[in-house]
Amino acid sequence: MDALLLEQVSKRFDTVTAVDTLSLRVKQGAVFGLLGPNGAGKTTTLRMVMRILIPDDGTIQVLGQPVSDRTQDLIGYLPEERGIYQRMKVREALVFLGALKGLSESESAQRVRRWLERMELAAWSEKKIIDLSKGMQQKAQFIGAIIHEPPILILDEPFTGLDPINAVLVKDIMLELRDKGSTIILSTHRMEQVEMMCDSICLINKGRSVLDGELRAIKQSYGKNTLRIEYTGDGDFLNLTALIENVNRYGAVVEAKLRPGADPQEILKAALAGGARISRFELIEPPLNDIFIEKVAGGHA
Amino acid sequence: MRKIWLVIKREYLVRVRTKGFIIGTIALPLLAVGLFVIPVIVAKRQTTQTQKIAILDETGTLAPAITQKLNQKAIRGQPAFRVERTLTPPAPSDAADLRKELHAEINDGRLDGYLLLPKDIRDGKSAEFYSKNPAGNLMDLGTLRRAVSDAVVVWRLKEHGIQVDKLSDLIKGVEVSFIKVTREGEVEEKGQTFMVAISLAMVLYISLIVYGVMTMRSVLEEKTTRVVEVLVSSLQPYQLLMGKILGVAAVGFTQYLIWTICGGLLAGYGSAMAAALSPGASVPRINVPPSMLVYLVIFYLTGYFLYASLYAAAGSMVSSDEEAQQVQMPMTLLIVVSFMLFTVIMRNPNSTTAVVLSLIPFFAPILMILRIALQTPPFWQIALSIALTIATTLGIVKISARIYRVGILMYGKRPSLVELWRWLRYT
Repeated sequence: MDALLLEQVSKRFDTVTAVDTLSLRVKQGAVFGLLGPNGAGKTTTLRMVMRILIPDDGTIQVLGQPVSDRTQDLIGYLPEERGIYQRMKVREALVFLGALKGLSESESAQRVRRWLERMELAAWSEKKIIDLSKGMQQKAQFIGAIIHEPPILILDEPFTGLDPINAVLVKDIMLELRDKGSTIILSTHRMEQVEMMCDSICLINKGRSVLDGELRAIKQSYGKNTLRIEYTGDGDFLNLTALIENVNRYGAVVEAKLRPGADPQEILKAALAGGARISRFELIEPPLNDIFIEKVAGGHA
Repeated sequence: MRKIWLVIKREYLVRVRTKGFIIGTIALPLLAVGLFVIPVIVAKRQTTQTQKIAILDETGTLAPAITQKLNQKAIRGQPAFRVERTLTPPAPSDAADLRKELHAEINDGRLDGYLLLPKDIRDGKSAEFYSKNPAGNLMDLGTLRRAVSDAVVVWRLKEHGIQVDKLSDLIKGVEVSFIKVTREGEVEEKGQTFMVAISLAMVLYISLIVYGVMTMRSVLEEKTTRVVEVLVSSLQPYQLLMGKILGVAAVGFTQYLIWTICGGLLAGYGSAMAAALSPGASVPRINVPPSMLVYLVIFYLTGYFLYASLYAAAGSMVSSDEEAQQVQMPMTLLIVVSFMLFTVIMRNPNSTTAVVLSLIPFFAPILMILRIALQTPPFWQIALSIALTIATTLGIVKISARIYRVGILMYGKRPSLVELWRWLRYT
């Protein structure tokens, strides 16, 4: 049984088709990345899974059941546009959210107390949300999404607005819940997070799935076609357009995508002949960032 | 059901605990009481100051009667005026000198004012009262006017050979009592029917707007703070909408309960005070039959659901307070118009116009209650009006829920009517 199964799902708004015959499958216990450029249909897809929107066509199953009022309680949802009752006390607002997800109020109150302590917000539990800093509000909202420790967790950009310490805290809790059996669906534009956390991904563009599968398999299918180079001195060798398709300069590091069949040794030779000092020269699988850009920009071409 | 209940509870507790609610519930009645009571207290205080006046009597005959009348006028403690002295100018040419003297005394503060009775006052020339603040207390002016007028009338009558001891006994008018005939019998009408009708219409009018707008604000708040997306990922939009409407309704009921209890206590205290102060005075009995209360609850609830769901839909369409001001206009206008129509109903509660108007669901809650209070219409009309209103309310709630469901997730510019029509058709 899959955590999530979408079959030929479509959603139209007037003349715009936000989601177009999208099928995807999320295995239980996975960390799944739902990727795509702005306006690709990610939020619409997630809203259909949450039964906030009803698809025009296709079927959605959550843990083997068709989406319904009852499946809503099986999922914890942290939308991209965060919001929580500003004028309620932290504890009361969270107990309310937990109860809405099917917990009894006493059970919800108990869990809220535990999670507020874990998230280092216990001292703020009787304060109004409006009095909290932005980062604290984010943490409170995260608690609101996981309070019923659901089998499926949908997190849209969970790390934005968090400092590195809190980001680690949130990441640890996510992995902890995954270890307890929860499936995590992560929607984000931060490709390095996806590379570090996700087992599988689905990349959608203009409402359609353009790439889908296990992350490792996807990257392997591209082969080691990218050079990661650190150097000082003359960079003329990067202009060898016969061998190099394009170059990404990050400042200290340069990533160069090879043309099919190009020999990296030739580039190294050219670099040394040109007088560049090489401190790193590595043949790698393409970063997800490049795959993303190629798939999405390629779709435009 | 459990989730609707949670929403009701949150909505209710959050609202009842705000300072606004506590101040509104307690301060509003105090303000209303203050508006009635304070002027009375202030007016009573003022009348205790007696003005020292003089009478400059060119006729030479009227002053004693007026003096007597003014000096005895002391129902509550002191009289409003005390006549210190009467001056009769020996010749018309002396009057000017006397007046100069009196003016000086007024400016010194030895005298508060003087009354000039011109020679031909009998033929309709007016008397004149000179003082530093002639427009002061209206009640005092009335006292003075009556005293002069009575004295002149008595004098005129005497000239026609009619001897009068007490004018007021002679010219006393006769009251006409108005008796309302109903199936139950007859009730003397002293304006209480009007009072009951207008108060009920007023209560409905105010609460439909106040609690309607409260529902709208609540919807808008959840939308602008973006809480709503988390909420509708946990329950259905119509559950949220119902919970909101019911929660605000409960707030309204709480407020009315507090006011009714306070009002009842005050009324009991008031009538006890009235009975103690002036025993035997007939206070008009206000009879509100139980059926009236049942109708009131029915019309209040259906009207509230009708308008609150519209207000909620309006709130869901917009993203800011400014826009909310605009979209609430149609509802507020409908409520205001139905209240304004009370004059039509009042004039003839059973005219065809009144019947038709009170059957229109958007007007029915206020107008039918007015008609029932004034002159109970045939039962079929009440029943039809209730049926039509409930049917419309169900339809409107359904439509509003559809708009609400789409609207809460839409940000940016407010939808046009065409877009609203499309929203209704979204699955």
